[in-house]
Amino acid sequence: MGWEEMQVRGYAEFVRTAQSYHGRPIFALFCGDKDAEGRSWCPDCVTAEPVVRKELHNLPDESVFIYCLVGDRAYWKDPNNEFRRNLKLTGVPTLLKYGTPQKLVEEECFKAELVRMLFTED
Amino acid sequence: SVQAHKEEDNPQKTMEANGLTPVPDSYDYDLIVIGGGSGGLAAAKEAAKYEKKVMVLDFVTPTPQGSSWGLGGTCVNVGCIPKKLMHQAALLGQALQDSRKFGWQFTEEVKHNWMTMTEAVQNYIGSLNWGYRVALRDTKVTYENAYGEFVGPHTIKATNKKGIEKLYTAERFIIATGERPRYLGIPGDKEYCISSDDLFSLPYCPGKTLVVGASYVALECAGFLAGLGLDVTVMVRSILLRGFDQDMANKIGEYMKEHGVNFIREFVPVKVEQVEEGTPGILKVTAKSTTGDQMIEGEYNTVLLAIGRDPCTRKIGLDKVGVNINEKTGKIPVNDEEQTNVPHIYAVGDILQGKLELTPVAIQAGRLLVRRLYAGETTKCDYVNVPTTVFTPLEYGACGYSEETAVEKFGEENIEVYHSHFWPLEWTVPSRDNNKCYAKIICNIQDNERVIGFHVLGPNAGEVTQGFAAAIKCGLTKEQLDSTIGIHPVCAEV
Repeated sequence: MGWEEMQVRGYAEFVRTAQSYHGRPIFALFCGDKDAEGRSWCPDCVTAEPVVRKELHNLPDESVFIYCLVGDRAYWKDPNNEFRRNLKLTGVPTLLKYGTPQKLVEEECFKAELVRMLFTED
Repeated sequence: SVQAHKEEDNPQKTMEANGLTPVPDSYDYDLIVIGGGSGGLAAAKEAAKYEKKVMVLDFVTPTPQGSSWGLGGTCVNVGCIPKKLMHQAALLGQALQDSRKFGWQFTEEVKHNWMTMTEAVQNYIGSLNWGYRVALRDTKVTYENAYGEFVGPHTIKATNKKGIEKLYTAERFIIATGERPRYLGIPGDKEYCISSDDLFSLPYCPGKTLVVGASYVALECAGFLAGLGLDVTVMVRSILLRGFDQDMANKIGEYMKEHGVNFIREFVPVKVEQVEEGTPGILKVTAKSTTGDQMIEGEYNTVLLAIGRDPCTRKIGLDKVGVNINEKTGKIPVNDEEQTNVPHIYAVGDILQGKLELTPVAIQAGRLLVRRLYAGETTKCDYVNVPTTVFTPLEYGACGYSEETAVEKFGEENIEVYHSHFWPLEWTVPSRDNNKCYAKIICNIQDNERVIGFHVLGPNAGEVTQGFAAAIKCGLTKEQLDSTIGIHPVCAEV
């Protein structure tokens, strides 16, 4: 079995989804909400998403890729939002391997080499 | 990215591996660094700045207990970083006690959870390991988690944990393989004892612990374990903190003793047996006196060996390339440009003979070496007046000569020692010791009373010492020190 993608919005849905896949490697990309035209308020997320998607085929078998929209800009700017408080996210986009300290933040997500390293190396 | 070369494609490597000297060809790398610790990574990252093609090989041979760790070397994984965090955990325990005297009220009994602390520390270390890997990948330094050894003058064999071997060539090499804890060589040592390599990731609370050794590693570990509420005994063969100012070493020992650490002096363990399995289990230690025939026994949950560290230089093929090592100690002698007796092979860090075993020293040496090699700079690493701090429960910061070494070098009549006890203001209200904190400076009378030694025992000793190290580097004299107005109320004003 290869990998699969789940798309979620908001912290509660993210946590529920991650917990339901407990035991499998979980990778998550956190981005700002998209408008009706499908464009995110977060310009770095717009740049990062295609880079990350291009590397998804490198995901190990059995893994789950959770694409998570965090909320609107105002929600994100709040220093007490749940993503900042509980997941310790400091910026969007953030690409991480759930349950490990391994993550890429902001411009690091633009680099295919680093994304590949996160997906394929221990 | 990783380059894999088949031997058939590269006759040069095959020749080298077979002991023949090939005609120099173009190498795979400008520089291969063996060892991804403080010195190795600093050198590799610096070389990448000058657009050199660099490879770092890092591999951790698991401890007898099975512990291992990621990229970053001793400091990050099993040294300075986790040590300081656990020392901080212990200090916070003390602060909680003090806080009641400052008016904080809490009724619950305060207990310490080893797993909570250890998981948090390991998580932080994990983020550092990852950060180094991102940094190397980002600067195009090739990193392989593989054990490197020389097989020819310009060829390294790298073996990964699956046993797969690859050969790489480079114009130059930097050996930065560091050290690992020494074992006693007595029955039961490897089977039942742990070392600092295991302690910081121990998946259970160590419980009643015997620390064998009198090094700063032994005293720092004993110190924070006791500070976390554990029953700790230190078994010392002879003196504390050999090589450090003995006056200060004794004060540190006294403080620890008065604060609940037991000391067994002038004994060495001869046998460790398991009484009961478990995490932790129960171990029985038999020890013999160094001054007579007396034997003693004791039972502990954990025995932590901290009797010294040995360089990782014996099994990396140095004999194949003719690099001299001190046969007795394993250390590598280098000139003042960190060059071994083989011109294209260099070494940095703890493995160097006659140099301080400190992270900042390794980093500085590594960086300056690379700048000399690739950026035309000439600055050499200054190993004189390097400040250090021992993070025992009462911290000790020092820079320059110990009193004994100063007397030996300059003669007792030519040095003047100024000293003072002090009572940190923060200790007054909670009624903590009023005569334990201590500072002294050693001055060279014949050189304008130049400050040649600085020693302070007290809270935040590291923070205090750093600035004085800079002053000493500038040639601080007693008169200049006297004319510097103090900050009040702080310990450093003394």
